[in-house]
Amino acid sequence: MLFSQLQFWMFFTGVFGIYLAIGHKSQNRMLLFSSYVFYGAWDWRFLGLILVSTAIDYVVALRMDASTDSRLRRMLLNFSLVANLGMLAIFKYLGFFVESFTILSTKLGLTAHPETLAIILPVGISFFTFQTLSYTIDVYRRKLAPERDFFDFALFVAFFPQLVAGPIERASNLLPEISQPRRVTLDAVGRGAALCLIGLVKKIVIADGIAGSVNAVYGAPDPSGAEIAVATWLFAIQIYCDFSGYTDIARGVAKMLGFGLMRNFAQPYFATDPQDFWRRWHVSLSTWLRDYLYISLGGNRGGRFATYRNLMVTMTLGGLWHGAAWNFMLWGVYQGVLLCGHRALSGVRGRGAPRVAAGTAPPTGPRRTLAFAWRVVLALMFFQLVCYGWLLFRANSLAQVIDFTVALSAITPGQFADLNVPRPPTAALLGIATLLLWDAGTELGGPRFYRSWPMPARAALYAGLIYLLAFGATTAPTAFIYFQF
Amino acid sequence: MTGDWRAQLRLISLTILGLIALDAIVAVGLATVAPESLRTYFEYGRSVPGKLERWVETPVARGNLFDVAWIPDVIADSDRLFAEGAPDRPMVRGYGMSFINQLLHAAAEADPTLHLDLHSGPSAPPNYTYALFVNDAANRRSGDVAVLGVLSSSVAAMAALSNQTWNFESPAPFTYPIWRPEGTSGLSRIDPVVKSDQDARAVASGAPIAKAWAAQLAAQDLMYSPTAYDATWLDVSPFARLVRRSLATSAIRADTQAVTSGEANYPWAETLIRMSRLFAAQARAEGLIPVVVLVQGRDLGDPDLRAALAPALSGDGIPTLITADLVSPRSVGNFLPDSHYNQEANAVFGQAMADLIATQRVSARR
Repeated sequence: MLFSQLQFWMFFTGVFGIYLAIGHKSQNRMLLFSSYVFYGAWDWRFLGLILVSTAIDYVVALRMDASTDSRLRRMLLNFSLVANLGMLAIFKYLGFFVESFTILSTKLGLTAHPETLAIILPVGISFFTFQTLSYTIDVYRRKLAPERDFFDFALFVAFFPQLVAGPIERASNLLPEISQPRRVTLDAVGRGAALCLIGLVKKIVIADGIAGSVNAVYGAPDPSGAEIAVATWLFAIQIYCDFSGYTDIARGVAKMLGFGLMRNFAQPYFATDPQDFWRRWHVSLSTWLRDYLYISLGGNRGGRFATYRNLMVTMTLGGLWHGAAWNFMLWGVYQGVLLCGHRALSGVRGRGAPRVAAGTAPPTGPRRTLAFAWRVVLALMFFQLVCYGWLLFRANSLAQVIDFTVALSAITPGQFADLNVPRPPTAALLGIATLLLWDAGTELGGPRFYRSWPMPARAALYAGLIYLLAFGATTAPTAFIYFQF
Repeated sequence: MTGDWRAQLRLISLTILGLIALDAIVAVGLATVAPESLRTYFEYGRSVPGKLERWVETPVARGNLFDVAWIPDVIADSDRLFAEGAPDRPMVRGYGMSFINQLLHAAAEADPTLHLDLHSGPSAPPNYTYALFVNDAANRRSGDVAVLGVLSSSVAAMAALSNQTWNFESPAPFTYPIWRPEGTSGLSRIDPVVKSDQDARAVASGAPIAKAWAAQLAAQDLMYSPTAYDATWLDVSPFARLVRRSLATSAIRADTQAVTSGEANYPWAETLIRMSRLFAAQARAEGLIPVVVLVQGRDLGDPDLRAALAPALSGDGIPTLITADLVSPRSVGNFLPDSHYNQEANAVFGQAMADLIATQRVSARR
């Protein structure tokens, strides 16, 4: 049941209708049931995993809270970590490591006969595992009181709008929203519907629309450097629209139900450096990694080299979080290198650059235009670095990474005149132009920039988006890319 | 639910008005200044009866497929040519679609001694090509080569009675039978109620046959979707056409998936294997050289013909040309924008076909 399918919207209409008619506690129970139905629609067998994870963390958190024995508390935390990460390891990584071990053994001349593993990856396992882990760790750190109502806690783990692809919500944000009565307002329903509309345009019109062009080049035996560059630019747009489109719909659906989920994207391709990018891209994961991994490793408290080490470890594991494949790990390493490089360079720049006095007025007139133009140039240049990362991410194999890198290093302007990339549909191109304007509006005026427009202008905007959605909705619906993580 | 109902209602009303206004502007734009490609894009969403009706009204309209590929017409042409005096030399008789036509033309270029007699329909599925072969028996002579084309993207349509039910955007109304396995090695044949373009015109004008045809489609055509046929009055709105196109193609895609995955209880691979065997047996009985051509299209979702059929055909000794053995269907560079193979790819296929025919002729002489 995909957000981009009619089936989901029929399901949600039913859920919403019942939701409006019942009281708070019943709403929570009904949402829990609906969440299990939603997840079970993929594979009901994996509901057991969610239930086990829920039960363990519910009991562990209560016991930790009740205990003053630091050894027992640590033991309980470790038990939760081992149980949750163990499930993740078995379902997501075991096959990968066994396969890698076999290949390595064969290369070393040894014979390995591993049992064939045919483990199916449960949808969204990385998302709900990280969400429950944050809860247990926060209770352990005594930053959060444990939830005593089992069913409310179960809803926190399985809340269907964000269950399979985030945002990875913090318990301190979502649990109070579950336990307190919620007000469903017309305004929130309207804003939620608008978010869903934007998300659907991003997913159906743009991401699904350009997927064919990307797949054609990444499936071709020997594309030219220019074809790889164009396909990778398109993939950057595809993955952004796919994932942020999902998040918009998740947030929109939750908003209609009276929940406020966190923003997961903030115009990431307007970033001008790696640090800026990670403040804008998959924010719920990057802040999770920062709070529960990077800081736990020591953060930037141990000197420059310890900081670099911690960044590399965090980003490499962040890459591996996306999937059990060497290219995801390579992508994580690449992001770590970018962050370390940026940190090193900005440190050097910072020492040499003249200090600007606090309270200095921002530039005006031509200087402002120049500053804006420079920012655009920086963003465009940094976008190329982001795109090389996406090449690592999208590549089908390590061999393809090498082949494509070699082809990119031999790129010539003449190759752009002889491109053999299927042209994205007109609706997708219109969608990309609309998205650029939308993100620019959000960057300059905030996420609600259009809310201050006169009502006829807003109505025209919605009508235009609905028309665009219909215009582009002819391509085949595809699963969201992040479902596989 | 609390809030300012009136403001929300106003916003919703204004949005609907905006949509209607936008729809009217698009409709006027399409009728006046829009380029042909955009007009065609919006035409794709018209209901199937709407498209057929327009084709009847404007026979010269671009993309009009109303009169093409009707089996009785194709066979009548073949009868006429044969009666006029077929050339006194062995012919390569192709039963296929555009892919097969292009491939055989390339074969004739590679070997100018090959003379072609081609029978085809747009995106024709194997049930059509096999029906042509069966019905055209009187117009062949010993020594000819008979080529049966199988296109991967049309395999699901073996469970359909006409292109109009599964090719929503270009619903050519020509019809064909559905074949199903019968007994241990045979095939049963379900013929369509609508057999000719005259029948189809009668359906378009609402004659009694229309009811029988609608009933047969609903009962026996696994690709039939009411979304593509009902509420034809909505065709007036470009927006409604866009929505219909999305819903109809989505429904057909689901049906296609159901047929090719086996969910729809139509054994397409078994049917194709039996069809190929019967084709080869009949061809050999007539003294012909049979060749089955498996054309793998570029769509990644198509069934893999080589995996599904090649072992059985090879085991039965049926001469088979598999395009995927020669040119990668995964490389976009091998295709034209219209999804056909490019000239270079066809040259490779053509040479392989010429070689295969030459080898088979040598074997036949022994």
